[in-house]
Amino acid sequence: MTQIDTPAKPLDPLRHDTAFTVRLRRYREISGTILSNPTTVIGLFFIIALLCMAIFAPLLAPPNVPDPYQMPRDWGAVRSPPGTPGHPLGTTNQGGDVLYGVIWGSRTSLQLSLIVVSVTVVIGVCIGSLAGLVGGWLDEALMRVVDIFLSIPELIFALAVAAILGPSFTNIILSLCIVFWVKYARIMRAQIILIRQADYVQAARVIGDTRFNIFRRDILPNAITPIAVQATLDMGNIVLVGATLSFIGLSESGIAEWGVLVSEGQAGIASGRWWASTFPGLMIFIWALAFNLVGDGLRDALDPKTEDKR
Amino acid sequence: MQLRDYIIRRLIILPFLVFGVSVVVFTLTRIGGSPIGVYLSHEMSAAEVQQLEERFHLNEPLYVQYFYWARGALQGDFGYSGVASAPVSQVFWPKLAATLELSVVSAAVAVMLGLWLGVFAGVRRNRWQDHVTRVVAVSGASLPLFWFGIVLLIIFWANLGWFPVGRSDADIWASMPHPTGLYMLDSILAGSWRGFVDAVWHLILPAITLGFGAVAIITRMMRSALVEELQQEYVDAARAKGLPERLVLNRHARRNALVPTVTVIGLTIAFLMQGAIAAEIIFRWPGLGRWMASAVVRGDQATIMTYVLFTSVLFLFANLVVDIIYAKLDPRVRLGD
Repeated sequence: MTQIDTPAKPLDPLRHDTAFTVRLRRYREISGTILSNPTTVIGLFFIIALLCMAIFAPLLAPPNVPDPYQMPRDWGAVRSPPGTPGHPLGTTNQGGDVLYGVIWGSRTSLQLSLIVVSVTVVIGVCIGSLAGLVGGWLDEALMRVVDIFLSIPELIFALAVAAILGPSFTNIILSLCIVFWVKYARIMRAQIILIRQADYVQAARVIGDTRFNIFRRDILPNAITPIAVQATLDMGNIVLVGATLSFIGLSESGIAEWGVLVSEGQAGIASGRWWASTFPGLMIFIWALAFNLVGDGLRDALDPKTEDKR
Repeated sequence: MQLRDYIIRRLIILPFLVFGVSVVVFTLTRIGGSPIGVYLSHEMSAAEVQQLEERFHLNEPLYVQYFYWARGALQGDFGYSGVASAPVSQVFWPKLAATLELSVVSAAVAVMLGLWLGVFAGVRRNRWQDHVTRVVAVSGASLPLFWFGIVLLIIFWANLGWFPVGRSDADIWASMPHPTGLYMLDSILAGSWRGFVDAVWHLILPAITLGFGAVAIITRMMRSALVEELQQEYVDAARAKGLPERLVLNRHARRNALVPTVTVIGLTIAFLMQGAIAAEIIFRWPGLGRWMASAVVRGDQATIMTYVLFTSVLFLFANLVVDIIYAKLDPRVRLGD
């Protein structure tokens, strides 16, 4: 054992270096492919704009005190149309400034999607790796749970869980975390099983690399690409599903969240007040579209086989 | 594996999955609290509440409660819906009929339009028509249906006044019997042209709302399948023997491209069920989705439970049927993977 281990050690930095340069070159190639696709560039542009909006929200719209995520109420200018001084996009039935909701809604959405995507990726990667690496009865048991979770359409499952937890925005985040990890677990497990048979993993095993090192250096970086694609798509998808849950009424009313705003604006459309629903909904659409475009572009760039598919 | 064996194996697994789903959802709903609320009223004394709990076995441990629930469900008793103020089994069918009418019409339009658009884009690959179609398809997948429906309402209902909301005109509805619960069919059976027009008129906006997202799914799949088929050698062969491009497309490429497109049927059905919730809320369509939405907000456990179970059974069956059709159409498919 030690005889095989010793020669592997001095080789280590060299191998790491080569893998690094190879990976760097690959990333350059990928970013080249991504940037050559006009629709992906448009998506990227929108993502950057939306992120700037979320980050600089306090500068764009002075935060409401004490809670900036609550809509400010201007009771003197209830139901004003767009173009009213001080309310460029108009106000809601309760005097909430639509522009304020649009801007701070991007922060709410960013929080929602970042939390849910990072939590679900971590859970999914852990469970998927566990199933793929350990195998046996554990794999069997975990995958049956995954099968059960995948038997219920995502939105409906999230809806049921959020309903059980009780209506609040935090519970929407929680319910989405419970529902959305499954896909990542499945992708991770499939990748591990696929990559484990690859020549370079066999080679690493032959030179006596430890199981953990093989996982960290060889399997994880290669398995992570489809996870990254799925995560990008989910950044958009989760805002869409989260907004749908809020729209149905599983969020607190009065918070600066796009789904809530669309729902609250619904009451005014019969009397011609179209603005309160239209602008926040448009933001959900742009958000989801941007991440979908970039996610699609990423998938095409990372896997030459899926070029021009889907 | 033989197709027959494969079907049998899947049919054996299916009840286990349904059982798993019911256990997960049941446990989750009970964690959220006792469903006793639907039966309670303010005048009840503590003893009466306890009596009720005993009557519905709510004082027993969770697995015993599940057993009683499952026994009831197998006998067609899914509990009492607080939102509908009636037993779930009683109100389920008329609401399902409403959702069914909406989804079937949306699906029919979506399939026809989606297949046509997919071919339209695939043939003109990388030309501007293709790019436009792709953008439309990606938009469809990113569109919040509830917002799209509201925008349609703002334009065609609030401003132009072309279309109504709801499911039918009250007078026309009262003027004929509803044996099937599908209003288009009911009006044909009653021989009422006015009723039929009314049913269709109410259906147009919600169907467009629901159909648009489904069009996107089908268009994307059909386009990519067609692009793939057009690169195959048999297409070159067909062209080389001088077959007109129209025949190459109609007789060869398009037929084969339909095979992988079949796989999105399951996805489309799930999409329609999910989208129906938003569409039904906005257009005040008295279907399953709207029922579920109010159940969710008011914590009506029996309804939530039944709805989730029904949707997943439908989804599982749809996927099974898709697999079978796919295997039938494409003999190269290896079953049992």
